[in-house]
Amino acid sequence: MTAGQALLAVERLTKNYGDVVALNDVSFTITDGITGILGENGAGKSTAIKILLGLLQPTSGTATVLGQNASQSIAVRARVGYMPEHDCLPTQVSAAEFLTHMAEASGLPPAMARTRAADTLRHVGLFEERYRAIAGYSTGMKQRVKLGQALVHDPAFVFLDEPTAGLDPAGREEMLALIRKTHREFGISVLFSSHLMADIERTCDRIIVLQDGRLVQSGEVGQFTRETETVFIEVDSNREGLVAALKKRGVAVTVERTGLTIEGPDESVYDHVRDALVEAQAPLRRLAPRRRALTELFERESGNVHANGAA
Amino acid sequence: MTTEAIAPLDARSGQATSGTVFDIGYQPYTGRREGRGRSRLAIFKDGFRTALGFGRGARAKVLPWFFIGVLTAIALVMAIVAGAAERLGGPGTAAEANLPSHSDFYGIASIILFVFAAVVGPELLCPDRRNRVISLYLVRPLNGSDYILSRWASFLVVMLAAAWLPQVILFLGLSMGDAVPIQYLRNHWLDVPRFLLSGAVMAVYATTLALLTASFTTRRAYASVFLVGLFVITAPFTIGLAEELDGAPGQWVSMFNLTNIPVHVNDVIFSDQSEITEDAPARELGARMLVIWYFIWTLVPAAILWWRYRRLTP
Repeated sequence: MTAGQALLAVERLTKNYGDVVALNDVSFTITDGITGILGENGAGKSTAIKILLGLLQPTSGTATVLGQNASQSIAVRARVGYMPEHDCLPTQVSAAEFLTHMAEASGLPPAMARTRAADTLRHVGLFEERYRAIAGYSTGMKQRVKLGQALVHDPAFVFLDEPTAGLDPAGREEMLALIRKTHREFGISVLFSSHLMADIERTCDRIIVLQDGRLVQSGEVGQFTRETETVFIEVDSNREGLVAALKKRGVAVTVERTGLTIEGPDESVYDHVRDALVEAQAPLRRLAPRRRALTELFERESGNVHANGAA
Repeated sequence: MTTEAIAPLDARSGQATSGTVFDIGYQPYTGRREGRGRSRLAIFKDGFRTALGFGRGARAKVLPWFFIGVLTAIALVMAIVAGAAERLGGPGTAAEANLPSHSDFYGIASIILFVFAAVVGPELLCPDRRNRVISLYLVRPLNGSDYILSRWASFLVVMLAAAWLPQVILFLGLSMGDAVPIQYLRNHWLDVPRFLLSGAVMAVYATTLALLTASFTTRRAYASVFLVGLFVITAPFTIGLAEELDGAPGQWVSMFNLTNIPVHVNDVIFSDQSEITEDAPARELGARMLVIWYFIWTLVPAAILWWRYRRLTP
């Protein structure tokens, strides 16, 4: 598989659960690298992943994984890994025993499965504790075992469903570092689902945003970051004068209760702000870059979707 | 990929030696991938190990080995009693006294075999669903049918071992207890295929019912209690009701004694009556009906079990 070639492709995918539409005519492709799938709870992230894994049959549309139809090919599953969001670990066995079993269940011969299990546990940072029963592991260690079982058979592609869920800040950092390592050092492409924009932004190369089962955005993370960045300005007086001065310079500004917000700024905006502050004689109290909240972004995108739908 | 060189110290001098250990980092797997066959075998192997407690703590081994021990002890006692009768009373005493032998073993030990299945069988299915490990299996190169067939086969092997081992011990004990062991082997060699077949009948029945019950709950204890209750309650209930009802109704009520269903087939195989079935009105329905009834009680639960797991595959 060469760089840039689609590893996963979803075309006009729809999934209904009775009257509930979980995915609505969604299309996207995923190439080599780390791709984030972002959306609030119930946006359709897990449903999309389950269809790509062949665990769910789509109502309509197609999902292709490594060139094969996801819902028809069992063989392709030997080359993909899956780390579910929910608990999925046996309690009585050790991590070494469990990963060896999972490697064999993925089709590896027993001797190779044992070697791969030990290697994988070392790579996810559980080498010393590998012979302890999983029941005694902390949440962070269990997340590592879950990641380990997804990687033990050296898949070409791995699906990580909310891998940072339930982790404390330190554990979250470690998990995000492991995800980056999975692609950059192990060479395994990743589809990483989360409802935390910060996690996606710091880890992924590309992003897919879902809302209410619809695709609202897909592209490079850098582009997405620029689009969601704002500058917040707070002044002690003459706010109206500052707004007028900014508008005169062609800067789109939104007036909020405590200050002003400029969306998606480029470098030149800061010069315009400086000049406008001088012209309006407005004493500056605060000037800070700010990230639009996920809910706020979805409200905006939802507005666009509805507006387009109405058009 | 990181490559880190570490110079080890010489144990005696404490000086760095010339040897170098390299951490060669992550190595992609380039070996063979054996696909669906290996996946099924892995599930089979894991089921076998789970049933006997291998790779688990000591507590997981207690129950299976206790039941296997009890079944073996029953066979040993039967062999010792028969051997003692032969030695003390002279050749042919055991046969004259009509001491229990191969045809009677499953009649005596069936309830222990069923309780063993009820207690151990659910361990193969319930934790996988309770801990949701099954979602990890189904994203590997196998489907719901592969999973349940592999689990069924693994528990069947354990049940076959539990059913055959005591009979083999009994056979060896009776041979060695006989005044002329070679003569015993010549006269009773036909018991071997009979007890192998009869043991298979018991094992398939117990395996299927235990796993079917386990497929309805995520709690092993619920499945075990339900199954033990079913076997223990249906026996006295159907015996009592069959005594009250004469003729065909009584015979059919007697057919629902779940403990007796495979023992009737054992009787057909050995052309003999076990102690627990000799008074059962179901006998009057004839060998063919008893065998058909056994197949109904095995194939229908097997089909339901397969269907329940097959639907996990979209």
